[in-house]
Amino acid sequence: MVVQERGIRDRYCIVGVGETEYSRNSGRTTRAMAVEAIRKAILDAGLTAAGVDGMLSYQNNDSTFAPFVASDLGIRLNFYMDVVGGGSSTEALIGLAMGAIEVGMCRTVAIFRSMNGYTEVRIGGTGARAAAPVRGPDLAQRPFGMTSAGQNFAMTFMRHMYDYGTTSEQVAHVKVAHSKHASQNPKALLKERVTVQDVVGSRWIVKPLHLLDCCVETDNATCVIVTSAERARDLRHRPIHVMGVAGRVSKPRIDFHWAHGPISRVAGYYAKDIVFPMAGIGPEDVDVTGSYDAFTFTTMLQLEEYGFCKKGEGGAYVSSGIIELGGKRPNNTSGGHLCEGYTHGMSMVIENVRQLRGTVDDACPRAAEGVHTYDDTPGRCRQVKDAEITMNLGWAVPPTGSALILRR
Amino acid sequence: MPEPVQYRGMTLAVPDNDSEWREFYAHARAHRLVMRRCSACGLMRYPPTHACPWCMDLGWTWQEVSGRGTIHSYEIVAHAIQPGFKDWTPYPVVLVELDEQRGQPTPDEGLRLVANLVTPDLRPEADKNVAIGKRVRVVFQDLADHMALPQFTLTDEPAEGRVWRLEG
Repeated sequence: MVVQERGIRDRYCIVGVGETEYSRNSGRTTRAMAVEAIRKAILDAGLTAAGVDGMLSYQNNDSTFAPFVASDLGIRLNFYMDVVGGGSSTEALIGLAMGAIEVGMCRTVAIFRSMNGYTEVRIGGTGARAAAPVRGPDLAQRPFGMTSAGQNFAMTFMRHMYDYGTTSEQVAHVKVAHSKHASQNPKALLKERVTVQDVVGSRWIVKPLHLLDCCVETDNATCVIVTSAERARDLRHRPIHVMGVAGRVSKPRIDFHWAHGPISRVAGYYAKDIVFPMAGIGPEDVDVTGSYDAFTFTTMLQLEEYGFCKKGEGGAYVSSGIIELGGKRPNNTSGGHLCEGYTHGMSMVIENVRQLRGTVDDACPRAAEGVHTYDDTPGRCRQVKDAEITMNLGWAVPPTGSALILRR
Repeated sequence: MPEPVQYRGMTLAVPDNDSEWREFYAHARAHRLVMRRCSACGLMRYPPTHACPWCMDLGWTWQEVSGRGTIHSYEIVAHAIQPGFKDWTPYPVVLVELDEQRGQPTPDEGLRLVANLVTPDLRPEADKNVAIGKRVRVVFQDLADHMALPQFTLTDEPAEGRVWRLEG
């Protein structure tokens, strides 16, 4: 348990969000996309270039850097860092932005991720990534044909099936739910609703994962803007407050986490003891979750590890209807990485900010004003009525994850 | 620096200064499976690393192990990511828990290795024969004069505990 010497709860806010189109043919550089996403987030916040003086980004040697896009937009920076990282970086960088503001290095931070994850450096690991020489720690896995995220994570799920009797059909409900949500999201890449049979009938990628258990490689850029609660009061939208954050919390032996079991345990087991006490709430208080659905089963593992159900009962939880729009606690209401597009975690935070504002960008004619129909038939509404608290569950690998609790 | 080894389209690079892996592979080429063993607390670790993850001591020696163990988890790769593995699909990747040091120093820990489950002639084992709980032993796949990969193959020892595989 981390003891807070000085609480940060409600003292920082997310004030702007923005993204490019989600596509599989951006035809643009990561620099061009990043500029668009950051500009949209600045305008969304009601800021100007002069109102942003900090920038953070993350990447895996596949993107542009803060100094370029800040210069493109005429932003003079008092603080920036471009860090190496993939999933779970979003929440971690929101926490780092709060720290940078807290110590006075800067006042307002734009956090971005830009990636041609389909047309340039494929997130699935094919192409240039598969051709790279194998050395150092990679020698423990890659010579055995274990390279991609799916190949790296699959044994965790297989052991969960062994330990707890979890089934393919149970976790297929995650894809079913997220496809339902994507059908109400005009910007989602995959808008078609699917069934459990569609998922378990799709071809094997790496058993126990079927094709439809896997997310969709996407070209996109995304941005969120963080500032102090004091400053947020003067900006365009209702401020969305950070109640708690945990960044890249890890199991022992991250480099070869199978050495330290149980291997069906993931990082949320440790992160929950940081983020919930900081926020002063428990899982029962959360209205909407945003899990890192790189795969169907990663959602299941995170939800049970954070205590939304008992450990081992994640399969029953995700197949109960709770995580669907209209259920008690919808998850990934935009369609998430499985259906909306793969963004390394950013889009689930953006979605939760919009849910808390009440202005989710669905097909409701007055969505931007916060007027919704709450009709969850395809092509209609995905706003959760009166959502007050959301939680994001960031995932890098089974042993590393982040978390973020927001309130309106 | 020894020539990098070409294997299934991959360049396996183990330069002279890579003390983690160079001697490990030299032992494997002599068909010995070795672990680094802490000189202070005596615990073994894998992969080979520079400090003891339990007591932080820097001293270590190579310790040969039996190479016998149990399948702790597995996956069957149907869609190869590395082009050189396409002609091997479907192939199993297994997490093997060695007999030595099981449940030490805490009940959840063990000496576990990732490898392929192969037939004695080093072909990928059939999906229907792969299961958690089955017993295995190490076999060595020679790649060059200075390098071999430790792989695992099924034994006819009785399984320990529950044996389970994903049907379908």
